[in-house]
Amino acid sequence: MTNNKVKIKTEKLDVFYGQKQALKNVNLEIFNREVTALIGPSGCGKSTYIRCINRMNDVIETCKISGSIKIDGQEINNKQIDVVRLRERIGMVFQKPNPFPKSIYDNVAYGPQIHGLADHKDKLDQIVQTSLKKSALWEEVKDRLDEPGTSLSGGQQQRLCIARAISVNPEVILMDEPCSALDPIATAKIEELMEELKKTFTIVIVTHSMAQAVRVSQRTGFFHLGNLIEVDTTDKMFKNPNNKMTQDYITGRFG
Amino acid sequence: MSEEKRIVKSYEEEMQSLNDDLVKMGSLTESQLSDTIQAIVKIDKEAAENIIKNDVQINELRAKIDDQISTVLVKRAPMAIDLRTTISSLKISHDLERIGDLAKSVAKKIEPLPIDLPQELTGSLKRLGELVQKQLNNVLDAYISKSKDKAIEVWRNDEQVDDLTHIAMNEVANFLGKNKKNLELATHLLFVTKNIERAGDHVTNIAESLYYLIEGEYLEGARPKGKEFVKDK
Repeated sequence: MTNNKVKIKTEKLDVFYGQKQALKNVNLEIFNREVTALIGPSGCGKSTYIRCINRMNDVIETCKISGSIKIDGQEINNKQIDVVRLRERIGMVFQKPNPFPKSIYDNVAYGPQIHGLADHKDKLDQIVQTSLKKSALWEEVKDRLDEPGTSLSGGQQQRLCIARAISVNPEVILMDEPCSALDPIATAKIEELMEELKKTFTIVIVTHSMAQAVRVSQRTGFFHLGNLIEVDTTDKMFKNPNNKMTQDYITGRFG
Repeated sequence: MSEEKRIVKSYEEEMQSLNDDLVKMGSLTESQLSDTIQAIVKIDKEAAENIIKNDVQINELRAKIDDQISTVLVKRAPMAIDLRTTISSLKISHDLERIGDLAKSVAKKIEPLPIDLPQELTGSLKRLGELVQKQLNNVLDAYISKSKDKAIEVWRNDEQVDDLTHIAMNEVANFLGKNKKNLELATHLLFVTKNIERAGDHVTNIAESLYYLIEGEYLEGARPKGKEFVKDK
């Protein structure tokens, strides 16, 4: 491990959607500038978990959350927190690339504009360029920045969404199955990009591909029926997990 | 060990077939080694010829196992216990093949030996050979029952193999000391002794691979060592 500082500390996290409990007493530490992969069968709670980190579950009326989530020691699971500011710090990339129906430039410029990060055009241009470079898309789009974001290929759109997420200088990037709609080459580009991004950001990725978890992450957590069953270094989890359920899941014995 | 079967039936079958072939290879190697030990004790040249001929069967199985492992790696990207089983099977099959080769080498040395070798020489070779044979038998049992304790026991017993090698080497040295004309014969016998000892080392390797398969960790500490060969004064 390159860095052992805890970025996100979750304690006794319970999440209910109505009567249904989606997360049960989850205790998890996410380390700074590492990629943490969350795996587990559909409905196990891994996406619910990452949606707690940027308070995406707030929009679901029936959702009740208790427990503690601290980012750099600051509790974010309470009413006092400014959710807009929180989401500036915690970016998110979704399963399906979802660029705004705007130009490539505007897709990236939107966040810095609404968060007031650029006071003049040159500064904005610079942020757009840096973000597109960091998301390894600049070379492919620099001559057509005013074309619609939706004109790009799926893999390019996903990298555009990553550029959009990093344009506001977040600390954490949440990725919810970011490659499941992409072909192997586009997937490889995103994975290569994650290697770079983790030098600056803390990344949490939900993935159904165990091979991807092995390739991109330093730590892996395994969820099952709302419980965090085991979390350890990725190397340990996939070579010699402690828990039999983890082993049975990753070797394809249940799911 | 996981008892549940895999969801993908063909994966289950591939791993089962790999296991079956490895067990088959183990039992072939076991019989080649025991035939060799008997042949050297009895100076049975006809049996030696058969041993030399049969080695090809072990090599063919190893090639088949290599191929199966490549397939499992590329198709299944095995994880956890399956990953360790696959890696260990690759290593174990190579150690078994080497034991087979060493048995063949020993068998080749039988042809030039006279049928009336002194009792002390055949006696010490027999003891060494039978111990290595027992070690191989035990490690294969340990593999089948996935017994960590049995694997450790085999690993520890390598010390005895080294001690009996030491005794056998001394017998050969004494034999040479009695008459310098015995030089050529003594050289053959030293090779035979050394090859049997090396077969024992491969058995120890198998015990180590098996331990890794079961525990996901490497057997700690230096390999047990018997006395180094120094001619008794």
